[in-house]
Amino acid sequence: MPSNRSITRIITQNRVWQSIFRQGYPDTDENQSKAITNSWFLHIHPVRVKTHTLKISYTWGLGVISFYLLVVLLVTGIWLMFYYAPSVERAYTDIQNLETSVTFGMLMRNMHRWAAHLMVLTVFLHMCRVFWTGGHKHPREFNWVVGVMLWLLTLLLSYTGYLLPWDQLAYWAVTVGTNMIGTTPLIGEQSRLILVGALETGPEALVRFYALHIFALFLPMIILVGVHFWRIRKDGGLSSPLASTDEPPEGGVK
Amino acid sequence: MSKDPRQLFPRGSGQRYGLMELVKGTSPMVGKGPEDTVMSWPHLLIMEVLAILGTTVLLLFWSLAINAPLREFANPDVTENPAKAAWYFMQLQEILLHMHPALAGVIIPVVMVIVLMALPYIDRSREDIGIWFASKKGRKIALFSTVYTTIWLIGLILFDEYIRVRSLIQEPEIWPGWLIPLAVIFGLSALLYFLLRRWRPTTREMLIGFFTAFVVTYILLTIVGLFFRGLGMHLTLPWNLPPGALTF
Ligand code: HEM
Repeated sequence: MPSNRSITRIITQNRVWQSIFRQGYPDTDENQSKAITNSWFLHIHPVRVKTHTLKISYTWGLGVISFYLLVVLLVTGIWLMFYYAPSVERAYTDIQNLETSVTFGMLMRNMHRWAAHLMVLTVFLHMCRVFWTGGHKHPREFNWVVGVMLWLLTLLLSYTGYLLPWDQLAYWAVTVGTNMIGTTPLIGEQSRLILVGALETGPEALVRFYALHIFALFLPMIILVGVHFWRIRKDGGLSSPLASTDEPPEGGVK
Repeated sequence: MSKDPRQLFPRGSGQRYGLMELVKGTSPMVGKGPEDTVMSWPHLLIMEVLAILGTTVLLLFWSLAINAPLREFANPDVTENPAKAAWYFMQLQEILLHMHPALAGVIIPVVMVIVLMALPYIDRSREDIGIWFASKKGRKIALFSTVYTTIWLIGLILFDEYIRVRSLIQEPEIWPGWLIPLAVIFGLSALLYFLLRRWRPTTREMLIGFFTAFVVTYILLTIVGLFFRGLGMHLTLPWNLPPGALTF
C-alpha cells in the first residue's frame, strides 16, 4: 500500500495538476502567497491581512456569509428554474410537483427560501456592523453607498421571488406591496402599472416578477458585489483603528 | 524623436513588472509592521471556510426541519385577513397604519435611503474607525438611544391603537395623515438630539445615536407588524394570531 506521501505525489507530481496549481503545497511564505495570487478565485484576497480584521468579534463574518448565501441562492435557484414555469396555469402546480415528485425538490425549495430569508437578515446585520465600527468612513464612503444598493437589491430580489409560487401568501403580499407603490405622488400609478403590467396582480405580473427575479435584478446584484469586493481591496483592505494601521490623514504623506 | 521601439522595449530583458496604476498618497500598508499582519493563507481562508461550513450546516438542518410554506392557489376574490406583506416589509406596513400611504410607503423609505447613503459624507472624522461604537461614550449613547426609541415606539403604537389619532382629529386628512406623524417624527428626533447633547458628543457619536434609533425602529416595527398584528391589523398577542398571519 502506498504511503500518504506517495499518494500526494501521484496526485500532484504531474502535468495536469501542475498546469492548474503552479505552486507547491502552501506551507511556506512563498507558496502561501502564490496560492493566493495564482488563483482566480483567491486573488480577490490580499496576500497578507491585518490581524485586527480577523477577530470574529470585528466582522462576525457577516459579509462572507451574505456572499455565500447569494451563491447558495444562485445554485438552488438555477435548479428550481429547471422545474418551474412562470405562468398562472403552471406555477402553482410546478411548486406542488417539486414538493411531491421531484427528487430533493422539497429540500431545494426549502433551501432557496430559507437562504433568502437568512440573507435579508445577514445583510442588514452586516450593514449595522459596518456603521457601528466606523467601516463606512473615508476612504470607504463609496463602498458604503454600493452596500446600501446591495441591501435594496437583496430586499427586491426576495420580494420578486415571493410572488412566484402563486399562492395566496404570494398574491396578497405582492398586492399589498404594489398598492403601496401606487400611492406615490405623481408617478405612483404609472410605476405600479409598469410593475404589475395590468390593472390587477395577474399573469402579467407573474412574468414581470420572474424576469426581474432571475435577471433584471440579479445581474446588477452580481456586478455590484464584484464592485463591492474590488473596492474593499482598493480602499486598503478592511478598516481597522488608525493607531494600529497608522494610516496617514487624508491626502497626507507621512 | 523616432527611436527604435526595440530599444525602448528590449526583448527578453527579464523585466517582470509593469505600471499598474497611479495613486496619490501613501499605500494603505505604509507604516505598518509585518507584525500586524498575517498570511491570508491559511489564517483568513480557514475563517472563511468555517463561516461557510457553519452556514451550510445551519441551512441544511433548517431546510430539513421546516418546509417552505405553500398556501392555496392565488385567488383575487378571497382577501387574506390580515393581508400582510413579506415579513421583511412589515416595518413599512406598520407605519402605513399610522399615516398617509405616500408618506409611509414612499417618502420615508426614500428619504431614509438617501440619508443612509449620505452618512459617511456627513461624518468625515477618522480617529475612531475600527472601534465598535467609537468610544465608551458612543456605547452609552447607543444604549440610551435604544431605550429611548423602544419606549417611545411602544407608547406611540399603544396610543394609536387604543386612543387613536383619528378619533381625536379626523378632518381634514392632512392632519392625521401628514402633519401629526411628521410632527411626531421631527419632535422626537429633536428631543433625542437635545438629550444626547448632554454628553457633548462628536458628530460621530451623535450619528451613532441616530443610526441606532433607526435600527431599533426598523427591528421593533418589524416585530410588532409580524407578531403582534392580527385580524384587520389590530394589535393582538403572538399566541392569539389568526392562522396565516406569519408571512415567512
Ligand atoms: C449582498 C450583500 C453584501 C455582501 C455579499 C457583502 C460582502 C462584504 C464582505 C465579504 C465584506 C468584508 C468584510 C466583512 O465580511 O464584514 C464587506 C465589507 C464591507 N461592506 Fe459589505 N456586503 C454586502 C452588503 C453591504 C451593505 C448593505 C453595506 C452597507 C450599507 C455594506 C458595506 C460594506 C463596507 C463599507 C465594507 C467595508 C467595511 C470595513 O472595511 O470595515 N455591504 N462586505
